[in-house]
Amino acid sequence: MSVYITSTGHHLPGEPVDNARIEDVLGRVHGRPSRLKRRILKSNGIRQRHYAIDADHNTTIGNGAMAARAGEDCLAQGYLAKGRIAMLSVATSQGDLVLPGFGSMVQAELGLPDVELNTSHGICSSSMMALKAAYTGVKAGEHGNALVIASELASRLFKASRFEAAGAEVDFDAEFLRWMLSDGAGALLLEDRPRALCFRIDWIRGMSHADAFPVCMSVGRPADAEGHASWQDYPTYAEAEAAGALLIRQDVRLLDNLVKLGVDGLLRLIDEGRVAVDEVDHLLCHYSSHYFRGRIFDMLSQAGAAIPEEKWYTNLYTRGNTGCASLFIMLDEFRRTQRYAEGDTLLCFVPESGRFNNVYMHLTVVKEST
Amino acid sequence: MNSVMNSKITTRAGQDCLQGLMRIWFDFERQLGRVPVIQRLERGRFPLEDYRRLLLHLRQQVVEGARWITRGASSFDRDFADVRSMVIEHAREEHRDYELLEADYVAAGGERRTIVEGERNAGSEALHAFMMYRASQPNPVDLIGAMWIIEGLGQKMAADWARRVEAATGGDGGHTRFMRYHGENDDAHLDKLYALLDRVCRDAADRRAILRTARVVARLYALQLEEVDHD
Repeated sequence: MSVYITSTGHHLPGEPVDNARIEDVLGRVHGRPSRLKRRILKSNGIRQRHYAIDADHNTTIGNGAMAARAGEDCLAQGYLAKGRIAMLSVATSQGDLVLPGFGSMVQAELGLPDVELNTSHGICSSSMMALKAAYTGVKAGEHGNALVIASELASRLFKASRFEAAGAEVDFDAEFLRWMLSDGAGALLLEDRPRALCFRIDWIRGMSHADAFPVCMSVGRPADAEGHASWQDYPTYAEAEAAGALLIRQDVRLLDNLVKLGVDGLLRLIDEGRVAVDEVDHLLCHYSSHYFRGRIFDMLSQAGAAIPEEKWYTNLYTRGNTGCASLFIMLDEFRRTQRYAEGDTLLCFVPESGRFNNVYMHLTVVKEST
Repeated sequence: MNSVMNSKITTRAGQDCLQGLMRIWFDFERQLGRVPVIQRLERGRFPLEDYRRLLLHLRQQVVEGARWITRGASSFDRDFADVRSMVIEHAREEHRDYELLEADYVAAGGERRTIVEGERNAGSEALHAFMMYRASQPNPVDLIGAMWIIEGLGQKMAADWARRVEAATGGDGGHTRFMRYHGENDDAHLDKLYALLDRVCRDAADRRAILRTARVVARLYALQLEEVDHD
């Protein structure tokens, strides 16, 4: 049975925030402007993003509510009544509550009765894991449709007060993501039948490499690996915060591996006959910055396996890096604004640096026969 | 519309082979990530004693490196005279790099006698034996697979390991000269490998042989590093 993406939606909270205004919203740590900001923004190329917190650090919309808005947007553009949704599969890096699962909160927010529920947990790739669960559910004939939603509210982690609570100076690894991540949600509707011009999912394939690499992006892990291993090992949460264990960190020295693994995965898919580079019409890649560069990309060109730049599509620079929601928000905007024709193929790729999980997806544009 | 622009590799067979070599390399890097001594290095829990032990084990294979390359050169017949020249040049450049390694060992507080008298570990034995065996075959084009792994390692040492060693052991570069040395002329080395690949990989059989040798060398090299903690 084939599975189709028949509608998409998104929600980006508030007005776009340009680079000059980031610190007006997130705040200045100890009242001082960041010295790293310019350098990191220059390398990631992001020009504007959205935040679900205001300058007073009130949350303007919760993560669950954002997810629901994206879901509503997706359903409003689709052909299916809300009451007929059979499965809800949801992803986030961090829900509004630690427990219960994010999916339960989103289901309630959307008011969806009797759905089969799935929540996937992780970082950027969690949306693709949620999508895969929904895809296989529909493909197996368990359900005729599934709504898949990915939502992120990272800005709560970036309030100046969080860094101040963790001590005097902010280290690079803890500050890096402050200039990378922002908020938003995206949604996809899967059905077992095509509708108008839509996307058939040819396959979704994940490759995780946690066994061979250290943690690269984390929350809950003290900067100093000595002593407590987890934020939950501290006698009080206040002590965990003071030790910096609740900051979101990126070990930037390990990021090179993400590029290598991304290339490795592509070569593997070429080898398996799943991807023919010449036949890819559009590449939607969730890359967090201009990190694809240098020798490895040159090597890919030498090997005749590079996808020409004119086939790449991204909205990273204007919508920001919304973690697991990025690819869905990208596909949504692609669907609404780009030119594509029946038979076109899309290769989607979400590399996750958390502990190196890469997920690829292949789509073909199909037209419902009338 | 495969990009053959600025291509140093002009043939489909060469490109296919490079794709395979890249995959083997990435897999090898993951194998390295599972080796205890490399994990300690990557986590910054790598005392000088570990570094000396690593050099001690590496040296016993590096000192033999020039032998398989020169043996390989002599195994290319008249039809491969141009390849032979390239291989000889490569051997000439690298055949005394073990001296740098020994000097680093001494600079890191080791006794010269210890490293000179060291023995090959089980992985080094297997790696050395395999290389000499392959190099002794007529026209051993698959040796480029071995060169791919060894060259890649040199670049990894220069770009990554040397810095980590210094960060973990508090060095100022005085005892990481061997690792750094391999970072010089990276691009030129890579271009030579591309040219060799383009020259010698003519069909599926060549590709299979090159990839097989690369895979075996990668596995045996990882074994050599695993053995560092087994002496």
